[in-house]
Formats: sequence, C-alpha cells, structure tokens
Amino acid sequence: METFLVIIVIAIALGFDYVNGFHDAANSIATVVSTRVLTPRTAVVWAAFFNFAAFLVFGDKVATTIANDVVVQSVLSIGVIFAGLVGAILWDLITFWFGLPTSSSHALVGGIAGAAVAKAGFDVLISEGLRKIGIFIVLSPLIGLAMGLILTLGIFWVFHRNRNLQRLNRGFRTGQLASAAAFSLGHGANDAQKTMGIILALLIASGHAASNASTPLWVVLSAHTAIALGTLTGGWRIVKTMGSKITRLQPVGGVAAESGAAITLFATSAAGIPVSTTHTITGAIVGVGAARRLSAVRWGVAGRVVWAWILTIPGAFAISWLTFLVVDLLA
Amino acid sequence: MDRRAAFFLGAAVVCFLLVPVSDGYAWVSITVGAVYVVLALGSWLDARGHRRV
Repeated sequence: METFLVIIVIAIALGFDYVNGFHDAANSIATVVSTRVLTPRTAVVWAAFFNFAAFLVFGDKVATTIANDVVVQSVLSIGVIFAGLVGAILWDLITFWFGLPTSSSHALVGGIAGAAVAKAGFDVLISEGLRKIGIFIVLSPLIGLAMGLILTLGIFWVFHRNRNLQRLNRGFRTGQLASAAAFSLGHGANDAQKTMGIILALLIASGHAASNASTPLWVVLSAHTAIALGTLTGGWRIVKTMGSKITRLQPVGGVAAESGAAITLFATSAAGIPVSTTHTITGAIVGVGAARRLSAVRWGVAGRVVWAWILTIPGAFAISWLTFLVVDLLA
Repeated sequence: MDRRAAFFLGAAVVCFLLVPVSDGYAWVSITVGAVYVVLALGSWLDARGHRRV
C-alpha cells in the first residue's frame, strides 16, 4: 500500500513539473517566435531539447536544497509531501484563475513548509535554508535586471559604430537561438531539480533511499523528461504575450534578456539555490527596457511580481497546512 | 532627480538591507547593491548630459 502511495505522489510531482514546463516555456521562446527566427512549433522543440539536456550539465544541488534545507528530514512523510504538492498546485491554479503571476518554485517551498508545520510545529523549519531561498527570491530578479541592462549597454557599446539598428537586429536574430537555448538549459536545470528534490525527499521519507543518498538517475531523467514534455506540448499556446508584455523586444534585446537570465540561472543552479525562472527573465526584460528609458517598461507587470513575492509562500503555506490537517484526519 | 537613477538607488538600498540576513551570501547582496549604485550614478550622469545638450 505504501509503495502504491509513493508512486501516486511521484506521479503528482511529475505532473507539477509537466505543468511548469507547459506554463514557463513561453519565457524562453517568446522572443525567438515574435521576431520570427523560428516558428512556434520549432521553437518549442528547441526549448524542450535544452530543458531535457540540462541534466547533463548541472548536478543536483538545487534538488538537495529542496530535499534537505527547507524542513528537517525526520518530519517528512508521504502525507507531508502530498499535502505540500497539493498546496503548491492549488495555489498555482488559484493565482492562474485571478491572473496573478506566481512562482511554482516559491509555491513548492511554501507548500512543503506549511504541511511540515501542520504536522510538527514551527520548530521543523530550517531557518538557514529558508533564509537563503527568501533572499534569492528578492535578489534573482534584481540580478536578472542588472544583467539584462548591462548586456544591452555592452552590446550597443561594442556595436556602436553600426548605426543601422535594423542591420544589427538582423545579425542578432541567429544569436537568439543560442540565448534561448541557454535560458532553456537554465530553466530545465533549476526547475526540474525542484521536482527531483521533492521525489528524493519522498524516497528518503518512505525508506526507499538512504538519508544521505544522491538523486537516483531515474529521478533525474523522469523530472527532465516531464518538464521537456510540458514545454513541447503547451509552450506555444501562451507564447504570444510574453515577447511584448513587459517591454517591446527587438532581437538585440531578446539576446540580452535571455543571456542575462541564463547567467543568473546557471550561477544559482550551480550554487544549489532554487529561484523563480519567471521572475528572473521578467527582471532581465525590465533591464533591457530600462536601458532605453524607464517609461519603456510596463511597471504594472513588475509590480505584480513584487505582489507574487509577498503572497506566494504564505498562500501555499496556508493551503498545504489545511490539506495536511484533512489528510491527517482521513488517515 | 532622474527617475531611472532613483529606481537603481532604491534597488541598491534593497540589496544592502538584505546584507545582515544574508549569512554566507552577504557578498552577493553587497556586489549586486554596488552594481546598482554604479548604475544609478551612470544613469544620473547620462540624464545630466542629455539635459545639457
């Protein structure tokens, strides 16, 4: 029976990963599609391939952070992880319904913390790990913004003799293939690892893995496959809005934004820090707009990111807390 | 004051406010804050140059 429950919760975790790919693919391919470098269908195949290939490049440090640094391992159980996932998924659906930009990553952390607290109180929270995640919730969009802006200025400085912007943009159309690939690699690395972390925690909690075990290969492959399939099947449906939602991007700006966000994701993934890929690329796009002038940025979208910072973890925390109480009552 | 410079200065203040709680990552907050101070200065000089022209 317990093995059956473990399989069910793993399936829910992979479903969460699939939806993440489905929803976030637009971030990495919007500019390639809006500038017609690739057709939507080719672009999602491109992004999905690099989402999957991320497992070859990055280790499992983010997964280890999710599994070991959010709550103490002894409190983790199938019920806690199930309630944590349900809280994160419901929060994502509620915010999707109300059109609020949310972060699946923050929802996952809030969800696991809420379910664990419902089981054993606030003492089970690991303040050091949560503080690290909390600090980078604020820092990652700011780093993305600075990187997007600096890269834009750098590109214009290097090519300042080329006064024909149209010709410069034509040259950068192919550059977008590389920057979109880099961002998809970073997205696959950071986001798939969060699911890997949840499955690893579940395997440890149910006695299917030792407490100091590294992530099994089948977990790595299934998490990257789920996010890649999500990208492949859903990304193109919502791709249209992202390229012009925050600021109107040209190929030069697209390369700067995607490269800036990719550098931020590479660095945080290598350091084992889970961050929101959506907030990172949003920051980088704002940075590209700010390189021209502040009025080129639609600040309403940036303001909604700040609201997402404030609301997501407490919201997912509360739902998971309640879900665990219900699960505990029924068990 | 140039709005963009004020925005960058605000971002720098946020980064520096995070330093006391950043533990092993204080250097990241300090570095990002310092970058925003430089960006604020550059933006202010840029705006001042444009006004003179």
